[in-house]
Amino acid sequence: MSAEAQIRNYILENYLFTDDQSALDSGDSFLDKGILDSTGILEVIYFLEDEFSIKVEDTEMVPENLDSVNNIVAFIGRKSQ
Amino acid sequence: MALPLIDRFTTIADNYPDKLAIADASGQYSYRQLQEKIAQVAGYLAAAGLKKGDRVAMVVTNSANYAAVFYAIWAAGGVTVALNTQAKARDILNWTNHSNAGWLFVDQGHGEFAEIAAKLDQDVELISVGAPKSEQPEMEHTPWNTITQKQGAMPELPISPGDLASIIYTSGTTGSPKGVTLSHANLSANVDSIQQYLQLSSEDSILNVLPFYYSYGNSVLHTHLAVGGSLILENNLVYPHRVVERIANEAVSGFSGVPSTFALLLGRVNLNDYDLSKLRYLTQAGGAMAPALADKLLAALPETQIFIMYGQTEATARLTYLPPEQIREKRGSIGIAIPNTTIEVRDKQGNVAPPGVTGEICASGENIMQGYWRDTQKSAQVLKDGWLYTGDLAHTDEDGYLYIDGRSSDMIKSGANRISPKEIEEVIQELDSVLEVAVVGVPDEMLGEIIKAFIVPKDAQQTDKKVIQRHCKQNLAIYKIPKSIEFISKLPKTASGKIQKFQLQKKQA
Repeated sequence: MSAEAQIRNYILENYLFTDDQSALDSGDSFLDKGILDSTGILEVIYFLEDEFSIKVEDTEMVPENLDSVNNIVAFIGRKSQ
Repeated sequence: MALPLIDRFTTIADNYPDKLAIADASGQYSYRQLQEKIAQVAGYLAAAGLKKGDRVAMVVTNSANYAAVFYAIWAAGGVTVALNTQAKARDILNWTNHSNAGWLFVDQGHGEFAEIAAKLDQDVELISVGAPKSEQPEMEHTPWNTITQKQGAMPELPISPGDLASIIYTSGTTGSPKGVTLSHANLSANVDSIQQYLQLSSEDSILNVLPFYYSYGNSVLHTHLAVGGSLILENNLVYPHRVVERIANEAVSGFSGVPSTFALLLGRVNLNDYDLSKLRYLTQAGGAMAPALADKLLAALPETQIFIMYGQTEATARLTYLPPEQIREKRGSIGIAIPNTTIEVRDKQGNVAPPGVTGEICASGENIMQGYWRDTQKSAQVLKDGWLYTGDLAHTDEDGYLYIDGRSSDMIKSGANRISPKEIEEVIQELDSVLEVAVVGVPDEMLGEIIKAFIVPKDAQQTDKKVIQRHCKQNLAIYKIPKSIEFISKLPKTASGKIQKFQLQKKQA
């Protein structure tokens, strides 16, 4: 499964409580759309650290890296290089 | 009696016209600029027929516009009904109806705007706040720029300290939402007490992350505007490192949070990496902070005063504080009564409990609410002979310092939120697949408590957590969605059929 699909499925399953792929656009802002709050973002970070074997540094906790599926996919891509 | 806050604001704005009042994402607003915004909104409301005592509801995120609308309602003689911006349309409409508000201000970009516009009672004028968003469909409402394009005129309307100033809803159950009513005198008295022990002055500035619609954030807003201080707004804590960066860069003197705020900051940010030398004080309220967390804060910020505080919306906001110099000696205490408030711990017979013996925290003072909006029965349950019975259990030590022992009500405290289990139970019960449900708070290291729903399904084969959570997401604010759901065959009950929630909580221990 691609990183994008993994992240999408995780968000759909745990925060939108559905497997309907049309419920989430990969560009949707998690905050603007009310999908995640601050504790939700922390849970997503723990998921990324476990699933992709990366360490999210405190200074990397910024919306540019984490506020949408697309942003996370790009962030993971940069971390894995 | 103390001068109403709107009158104090006018004096401060005249004295410090060019001083920064509020900085938000849209810009910086001096006291003069904020006063002009207030005059525009107040002038509009007066022209629209607002009479003294009329309620005006608002669903506005923290911003200069929030302060402008809030103070304008007072300036026009109205009563503010500031609603939770995370709430869904059904709660917003329910509170608007319950308070009989004649006007409803809603952020232009609010996700529920369309549904509110479609379902709002026709007698209520809907006013959008902020610049229109291009994708927003046209709906029946008064756009913000019809107000802001006009020259403002402050109505000449004397407010008396005893007049009703605000209604703050603390829960949204369909049948009987609880609206705490506060007079102008209540608010002024609490502001005075807080200013006194925090020693706030016009030199102070705060980085504020607390929502203004809750009593804690409400008190941060008013205490600063009443002395000519500055509020720098940061509307979310999602990225803690950004918050600390702003505390350092803006060189603010104060920061206020709930226990989870500080757990998040200490857990994800190395505070030693930042110059926080201008940070004079921190305040913490909204639930008991674990002494170990307070110790970590003290170690990380040795030069900063830390105020542990306790309060209730029913007491405007604040009831006790622990003087910072006592924080080590009185570890785990919520301190002593704030100035001009009296606190007693009483046993079930109403007598003052001796030191070391647990009883209910009771309070009297000018900050105690007028009662619950249009609910004399609930008001009489907590207001007796001029005393507020808080429902919180505590004991004192020999020196009179208070220590919280628990709560006698079943409200859940999760992060900064106080949540009525009944609201969530009502929503879950709407599903056909649910026979019975009981919602409780279970301990959580970060949030204090998280929400857990125990559900008895009608058909044991049909137990899909996702269906329950999806229904909650559609109908409840995000922080009210149960994190945990357990299906069980029956709920523990007393002989008379009352659900024994303590048994469910014990299951978690």
